[in-house]
Amino acid sequence: MLSLYRPGHGLLHRLPTGRKALLLMLVVLGLSFLPSTYWAAGLAWVVAVLGYLLGGLGLSELWRQLIAVRWLIGITLLAQLIFMPLEAAAANSSRVVAAILLAGLLVLTTRLTDLLAAVERGLAPLARLGIDPERMALLLAVTITTVPVLARLGAGVREAQRARGARGGLATFVVPFLVVSLKHADELGEALSARGVQ
Amino acid sequence: MKPRRLEATDLARIAVFTAIVAVLGLPGGLSVFGSVPITAQTLGVMLAGAVLGPWRGALSMVVLLILVAIGLPLLSGGRGGLGVFVGPSAGYLLGWVVGAFVIGLIVHGGPRLTRWRTILGVLVGGIVVIYAFGIPIQSLVTRLPLGPTALQSLVFLPGDLLKAAIAAAITMTLARAYPRAFRRQEAGSQIPVTASAQVTSDGERPAESIR
Amino acid sequence: MNSISLDQVGVRLGETTALEGISLNLGARRIAIIGENGSGKSTLARVIGGLVAPSSGSLRVHGVDPVRQKRELRRLVAFVFSNPDAQIIMPTVGEDVAFSLRSEKLSRPEEEARVSGALAAFGLSELAGRSAHELSGGQKQLLALCGAFVRRPDLVIADEPTALLDTRNSRTVADHLFLGGDHQLVLVTHDPRLALRCDTAVLVGSGRIHAVGDPVEVLATYERSLAC
Repeated sequence: MLSLYRPGHGLLHRLPTGRKALLLMLVVLGLSFLPSTYWAAGLAWVVAVLGYLLGGLGLSELWRQLIAVRWLIGITLLAQLIFMPLEAAAANSSRVVAAILLAGLLVLTTRLTDLLAAVERGLAPLARLGIDPERMALLLAVTITTVPVLARLGAGVREAQRARGARGGLATFVVPFLVVSLKHADELGEALSARGVQ
Repeated sequence: MKPRRLEATDLARIAVFTAIVAVLGLPGGLSVFGSVPITAQTLGVMLAGAVLGPWRGALSMVVLLILVAIGLPLLSGGRGGLGVFVGPSAGYLLGWVVGAFVIGLIVHGGPRLTRWRTILGVLVGGIVVIYAFGIPIQSLVTRLPLGPTALQSLVFLPGDLLKAAIAAAITMTLARAYPRAFRRQEAGSQIPVTASAQVTSDGERPAESIR
Repeated sequence: MNSISLDQVGVRLGETTALEGISLNLGARRIAIIGENGSGKSTLARVIGGLVAPSSGSLRVHGVDPVRQKRELRRLVAFVFSNPDAQIIMPTVGEDVAFSLRSEKLSRPEEEARVSGALAAFGLSELAGRSAHELSGGQKQLLALCGAFVRRPDLVIADEPTALLDTRNSRTVADHLFLGGDHQLVLVTHDPRLALRCDTAVLVGSGRIHAVGDPVEVLATYERSLAC
């Protein structure tokens, strides 16, 4: 299944999902109270590096995660440098990046099925609002199944357009893609009814 | 008209729109302006609201955000995980939920779909609302004051305006090419009369909401 | 009890009349529904399976009224459609088969036994933990069949189940449909070979029944109608 999970046996891998999420959120919250100074910037980086080392993921994974958010870092840093003094710019950017990296540890060290189970437990109180948690869980599962199907349908549409020599404009892609997607939705809805979803 | 219980048809449409937004974030040459990573995902958000209506549109965005939070790489550039909810763009993501709701409210607000209501919907819900959530939270996260943050986000405004124009045009095209998509669940019909009953039918069933 | 009877059934989808004045009594074990695209044969299958409500007339399916007794009908009937992608609901193969058993409220070991038995019958045991989207088209359709058969339905309604498959997979799927249990089968098909394997054939055209009876004769009637 498409997931960001990295298998491993580090400290974080072994923590139960709920406690791990709480712990990481507390650390991230703690970071957000740091002042905009150089030592705070350093501290943010130290915490992030420690998180990846303790999580058993190593610095190569941290680097990969940094690369993944390079655009965000670039844009944030640029705006900070234009409008803020150097120290604040460095501290604010470091704090933001460290928070993103640390929060990312949850999905890197937890299996999708465990996270899904945790979400389903978390949805239970919704029953009081008249929302059926089981139906919500079904919706999440159906969506996970549907994403790769639609990705393939999208690739098919693009291929068909290339075969006809059409240039890849956004609107020329989206209309046929939406039509095949909605046809899929109709068939999927019918299959759900046929399999007992009222 | 809040759906108390999601029927099979609703469930399928919501899942499909969530997936549409995810697919629009996939790499594959959908950048509007050369190499700047402007994605088509907000286009998907606008379409979800415009086609699904307020509640189902917003729910499809909630589903997207839950799946992103548990680590599916569904945001543009394959991003996912809790990290995106503590970063500078967290507010924009929250804005997607409310934005889709507002778009649905405006676009589906009248007895029938009109061009002007659609344009108004995607502009208000797809840009004003999303920025209204995005900018303050970005400012909070980065500690860059509100003014400069707003100024910074102006970079994305041309792209978003273009996407709003495309979304409005696509919505109107879709209303002609696939009117079934906009039909609300007929109240009282207990069996969801699903559409592919007449896959090859020559006549579309006319939509009540579109003339 | 194992019969399907329709009395003056009509279906209107918006402005179009999909079916009109259909009266049928089908007791045969394997029933083929044939006819041109848009003739109403898919709608007929969906009315029998309770996916489309008739706008007029009444029907009984194995003693159950599909309009009033939806829950009973769902227990009785399983569907197979042509596009396997749209029939797979859960992310992994095993979960998808288990999904069919949700309403039966079985105990965990019972459910697991039923699922693994069904997977084995369709040669899917080794794929149980795999993502559904990693399967080939043929494997996906077998998974869809497996999800239908795991419920041990009394009636299987298949709407062109082999339309998207190659010859070998078509044969496998057909063999499961014809030989995989003692269910009644309603098979919507364009494939004369499959129609000939049935005990009765129904020819539908422009929303009406044109012929019912021995598949050889009904197919001949169909051929003649195409000739003129």
